[in-house]
Amino acid sequence: MTRKWPTLVFSIVMFIIALLMLFPFLLMVVTSLKTMGEIQSPTFTFIPKHWLFDNYSIAMGRGDWLQYFYNSFIVTGVTVAFSLVFNSMAGFAFARLRFPGRDVLFFSVLIGIMVPSQATMIPTFLMMKMFPFFGGNDWQGQGGFGFINSYTGLVLPFIAGSFGIFLCRQYFLNFPRALDEAAQIDGANVYRVFFQIYLPLSKPILATLAIFKTTATWNDYMWPLIMTNTEHMRTVQLGLTIFRSETNVEWNLLMAATTLVVLPLVLLFLAAQKYFVQGIVTTGLK
Amino acid sequence: MNSVNSAAAASKVTTSKSRRRAPIDKAGYLFIAPGYLVYFAFIFIPLLVGLYYSFTNYNFYSTPAFVGFDNYVRLFHDKLFGTAVYNTFIYSLFSIFPQMALGLLLAVLLNGKLRGRLFARVSVYIPNVTSMVAVSMIWLWIYDPSLGILNRVLKTFGLAPVQWLYDPSTAMAAIIIMGIWKSIGYTMIVYLSGLQSIPASLYEAAHMDGATKVRQFFAITIPMLKPTTFFILVMSCINSFMVFEQVNILTNGGPLNTTTTIVHQIYLRGFQDFQMGYASAMAMVLFVITLLITLLNFRLGNKGNDTDVD
Repeated sequence: MTRKWPTLVFSIVMFIIALLMLFPFLLMVVTSLKTMGEIQSPTFTFIPKHWLFDNYSIAMGRGDWLQYFYNSFIVTGVTVAFSLVFNSMAGFAFARLRFPGRDVLFFSVLIGIMVPSQATMIPTFLMMKMFPFFGGNDWQGQGGFGFINSYTGLVLPFIAGSFGIFLCRQYFLNFPRALDEAAQIDGANVYRVFFQIYLPLSKPILATLAIFKTTATWNDYMWPLIMTNTEHMRTVQLGLTIFRSETNVEWNLLMAATTLVVLPLVLLFLAAQKYFVQGIVTTGLK
Repeated sequence: MNSVNSAAAASKVTTSKSRRRAPIDKAGYLFIAPGYLVYFAFIFIPLLVGLYYSFTNYNFYSTPAFVGFDNYVRLFHDKLFGTAVYNTFIYSLFSIFPQMALGLLLAVLLNGKLRGRLFARVSVYIPNVTSMVAVSMIWLWIYDPSLGILNRVLKTFGLAPVQWLYDPSTAMAAIIIMGIWKSIGYTMIVYLSGLQSIPASLYEAAHMDGATKVRQFFAITIPMLKPTTFFILVMSCINSFMVFEQVNILTNGGPLNTTTTIVHQIYLRGFQDFQMGYASAMAMVLFVITLLITLLNFRLGNKGNDTDVD
């Protein structure tokens, strides 16, 4: 009986903290529904007097938002799809197949975990710009724009990486060996072992990797910022910064656009919390 | 640790048992080829190329010429870069510790019996799934000097408005507060998983010995969470050394360069001034700093008993 009181007190304290954490988002949503007149009025109201849902369609008219969302969905979808296939294939080979040089190659992959992308973005950018034969470039990578302002440029550097390979390898290491041996006795080759036994059994790790990649790609700002400079190739994160560059920021429109940009990931998070947490805890990445 | 042992054990089993299998799986090369090539081309090679550029005067329009350590010497005397390094350290120092302390506190609260526990966990974590750009836009609005809610609150208490992001004495603090708010959820989640791996029997024994909750926290929880704490510390250090997006959006390094950071300087020198060689030298300094932090992790992290978070 004596334990009930602290539980209630802590529940109330925690509820207040939760509301405080959510407050910036609540402010975002209520602001997105107000008129500029109400926002500028000297008396502050939290709940909008008139719910102006039109703000959303007006905000989407500032810039080609259909295109930005399309770009972000394409870039995120393609990056996630490729990274699932490539990382799991490499992870499987490093965990299960024996070939000369395997351990050296794997060690070199591990080194990559220690390399922040910000430290390599300049050479990576230059490589994408000077990619031979693409975007008007000659064989020396001169004369054109390479992969700048292209989906390839936004996707290619991220379709495989140390963390993905490492994550999959660690997962596959825990599979019982007997599984492979049984399949081999049945005459299955390594390709069938991977695609028909390992892959169907690795949904949890693939979901974790997919969530992790989706978040990283959808939220990325720096790479699209340096890789693109046309209206047509903007992602949603770059789209948001249009409102910032205006002299008088229309807060209701900016908050409406922000709400729409945030929404897909928040919904994904609510639907697949377990895998978000898994990704954080196993990779330690934000 | 576990996985390494099981891998060793597993490979022993294969060498003795599966004679059936050919000694070399050539398919292995095919399997790793796509992933490894991407990794090699976009992480490994750029690191080497970046190192090379850092010794040249490459400026995007002319062919790079070797200049030895000139860039590094210039970097050493560059007051602005010095400011950026200082700001980055200040940002890291003042965001990491509050964020870890608050994250631990929330994790302990959320690990106990509570009503609405799921709601609270989700609320604390949501800022972390939101993009830094979106979060910056929301806080830009909160910090707005004339219409923002913060100054409206100050006004109702009869206080003078603060120019948050436009005042050199408050701009960095404003960015740090936003950073803490965004990262608490991350620390909370990792601590929560650390807490759940502490055996309940320890607390039961302490309870029988008559130890208070507070005593238990300092005598059991804190020491048992040591590996988790170290893990979070290292990850947070690396992440906060990369601070860029919020700076670029909220203040663009201003006012009076009080918020410019290492990555912000790399961005400005490399992609605004096109001094690719000089910016590459900055990138190498950044890499060495993060490398030192990671190596420190391997040295110190393996000392304690390895209750890793998994």
